[in-house]
Amino acid sequence: MSEHDDALRMLRDSAAAIAPPGGDLRRIRALRYHAPGFDVGIWQEMCGMGWLGLRVSEERGGSALGMREFCALTEQLGAGLVPEPLIPATIAINALPDDTLAQALAGDMLVLPAWQEAPNSLDPRGATTLRNGKLNGTKVFIPMAAGADAFLVSTTNGLALLAPDAQGVTLTLDKTQDGGNFGTLRLDNTPAAPLPGDITERLEEATLATAAYLLGVMDRVFALTLDYLKTRQQFGKPIGSFQALAHRAVDLRIQINLARASVEAAATTWDAGGPLPLRQAAISRAKHRANLAAMLVTRQAIQLHGGIGNTDDYDAGLFLRKAMVLTASYGNAALHRARFAALSPEADDE
Amino acid sequence: MNNLDLNLMADETFRATVKDFLTAEYPQHLRNPAKRLRFAETRDWYMTLSRKGWLCPHWPAEHGGMGLTPNKQLIMIEEFEEYGVARINDQGMVMVGPLLMQHGTMAQKSFHLPRIISGENIWCQGYSEPNAGSDLASLRTEAVLDGDEWVINGSKIWTTLAHDANWIYVLARTDKGVKKQEGISFFLVPMSTPGITVQPIVTIDLNEEFCQTFFDNVRIPKENIVGAPNKGWTMAKALLGFERLFTGSPKQSQHALARLRQLAHRMGAWEDANFQDRYTALRLDLADLAALFETYLDLTRRGDTLGPDVSQLKIWQTELYQRITETMLDVAGENGALLEPLDGNRELHPSGAFLQARPATIYSGTNEIQRNIMAKNVLGLPG
Repeated sequence: MSEHDDALRMLRDSAAAIAPPGGDLRRIRALRYHAPGFDVGIWQEMCGMGWLGLRVSEERGGSALGMREFCALTEQLGAGLVPEPLIPATIAINALPDDTLAQALAGDMLVLPAWQEAPNSLDPRGATTLRNGKLNGTKVFIPMAAGADAFLVSTTNGLALLAPDAQGVTLTLDKTQDGGNFGTLRLDNTPAAPLPGDITERLEEATLATAAYLLGVMDRVFALTLDYLKTRQQFGKPIGSFQALAHRAVDLRIQINLARASVEAAATTWDAGGPLPLRQAAISRAKHRANLAAMLVTRQAIQLHGGIGNTDDYDAGLFLRKAMVLTASYGNAALHRARFAALSPEADDE
Repeated sequence: MNNLDLNLMADETFRATVKDFLTAEYPQHLRNPAKRLRFAETRDWYMTLSRKGWLCPHWPAEHGGMGLTPNKQLIMIEEFEEYGVARINDQGMVMVGPLLMQHGTMAQKSFHLPRIISGENIWCQGYSEPNAGSDLASLRTEAVLDGDEWVINGSKIWTTLAHDANWIYVLARTDKGVKKQEGISFFLVPMSTPGITVQPIVTIDLNEEFCQTFFDNVRIPKENIVGAPNKGWTMAKALLGFERLFTGSPKQSQHALARLRQLAHRMGAWEDANFQDRYTALRLDLADLAALFETYLDLTRRGDTLGPDVSQLKIWQTELYQRITETMLDVAGENGALLEPLDGNRELHPSGAFLQARPATIYSGTNEIQRNIMAKNVLGLPG
C-alpha cells in the first residue's frame, strides 16, 4: 500500500515538472498545428524521467510499475494537455529489440506504433502483410506521426520495425483538432525484418491510459468552469448561485467521479491479472465512461462560460479539442459499449 | 456465542455466519418483496432478530446492540441485501435509539432502548408536513407547554407505516419568534394518546405504506422532550449515518435490471440490437455506480466519516433505477399499461416497477435538494 502510494507521489511530483498543476497553457498553444505538434526536447526530458519505461521490465531497463501508476501519470499529463506522445509510444516500446529499446527509452529515438487500418477500431491485426521480407498495406490514424523516428507496424504475421524514409514508404499527415496530427502510412513492397511480439495487451493499456488522460482533461476544465461560475457576475450575482447552473455543475462533478471510480477500478483489475476478457471488459467500461464524461464536461464548459467559451483565446476550447481527439481514439463510447457487451455477455447482475 | 466475539471473526467467517443464519431463519416468501412490508408480515422476523440479539448491529452492546465494527456492519448489510431481506419497521433502531443514546436522559434511555430491542415499541417518524417537505425547517406543527404537559397541534405527512407504530417521534415548533431552525424541538409521543388520528395515504403504486398523522390537542408529559427545547433541528440533522450511504447502494438498480432482462426475454426483445445497446448502457451505468459505491465502503471500513459528496450516490442510483424502469415500459409496449403483473408473475410487472420507482428521487431528500447540498458543500458554489 505505502509502496504504491510512494510510487504515485513520486510520479505526480515528476509530472509536475512537465505539467505543473494549474500551470498556464502557453507552451501547449505554441505547439499547435505545426509539425511535429510536440516538443522533442520535452519528450527527451520525459524519457529521462523514465516514463516510457514505466511498463517495461526491470531487466530491460524499465521500472515495471503497474497500470495504476501509469494512469496516475497520464491523468496528470491530461490536466496539462501535454501533447508529447507518451501513450502511443508505450504501445511500441516492449516489442523493440534491445539496441533500439535503449535508444528509445533514452528519448533519442521515437518509435510510434502503426497498428490501425480502419476508423474506430481496436484490432491490431488488419490486412497489412509481411511476406518475403516485404511489407504491403496501409496504416491510419497514427498519432503524432510527424515526429516519429521509426514505426512499429503490425501485420497479419507479426510485427515489423521501419524508418519513415525506407524504400516504398509514403507518410502523409492530417492535422487534428487538438493541434497534433494523424499519420497515414502506405507501405508498398517496403523491405522489413519480422519482429517477435504482440501488442494486443499494450493496446488495452493505451486505451486505459487514455481514459485516465481524459480524466485529467475533464477535472481541470471543470475546475476552470467552477471558478468561472463563482466569479462571473450577471444580474448582480455570481452566476453559480443560479440553481439551473449549480445543478448542472453537480451533474458534471458526478460524471467525473464516476469516471474516476471506473478508471481506478479498471487499473486495479488489470494489474490483478486474471482472464483477459474480464480485464478488457473493465477497460471498456472505463473508456466508455471517460469518453461520455469528457465530452459532456468539455461541452458544458463551453456552454457555462457563454460567449468567452467560444473564443480560441480562452483555454476551455483547448480541453474540448483534446477531448474530441481522444474520445475518438482507442474506441469511442459506442465501440466500448458493444465490446463490453460482447466480452461479458452474462450480466453479473443478480 | 457472545455477539462481541463476532468482531473477532475473520471477515469471511463472519460473512458465512450471517449467510447461514439467513438461510436457516429468514422466511423464503419474504425475499425481495415487491413492496414495503407491513409489521404484521415482518413481526416474526423482527422477533427472530430480537431473540438472536441481531436487531441493532450498530448499537453498543451495553444497550442491547451487537456493537459491531463498521466493517462488520457493512458485511452484515451486504449479506442482508444479497439475500433480499425485507426492510423492517426500523425507525426505533435507526433514528430513536442513536438519538437517545446521544441526547436522551437516563430515564428515557432505560425506558425506550430495551423496548425497541424487544419489539414492544415500534416507531414511526413525524418530520414532513403538508407545507414543509424539502423546506422541513418551516414546519408548523406546534408544541406549547401547559403546566406539566406539552400540547401538540398540527399534522405530519409521509409518516411511513404509522399504522404499524405505537410511538412516533415528532419535530414541532416551540418558538415562533426566532430563526426557523432555532425554534424546533424533538418529542416522543405514544400513538395511543388521545387526539392522534392516522389516515393512510394510497400512493401512486396503490400501496398504503405512507400515512398522514393528525395531532389535535395531543397532551404528553413534559419529560417527553429529547434534549433542550429548541435544539431539535440540530440533533435531528446530526443523525445521518449509514442510511445516507445505502440510498446509493447499487442493489435496488441491480434488482430492477434483472427484472428488465427477464421482461426483455418475455417480450422477445432480448436479441434486438437497439435493446441490447440500451441495456448495455444501463449495465455500464450500474457497474460504474458500483465502483463509486465501493470507494465509500472503503472509507466506511476505515472508520472515516462520509462527506456531503455521498449525495452523489443517491442521485445517480435513484435516477438510474428510474431509467431502468422507464426502459421496462418501452420494452413492454401495451403490456406496460396493464394494472396486474404479466402471467401472474410479480417479477414481470413493468407498470408496477415504474410507479414504484417514482418516489426514489423524492424520499430521503429530493434529488434537487441533494444537488443543492452538493453545489454548496462540495463545489462551494454561492447559495
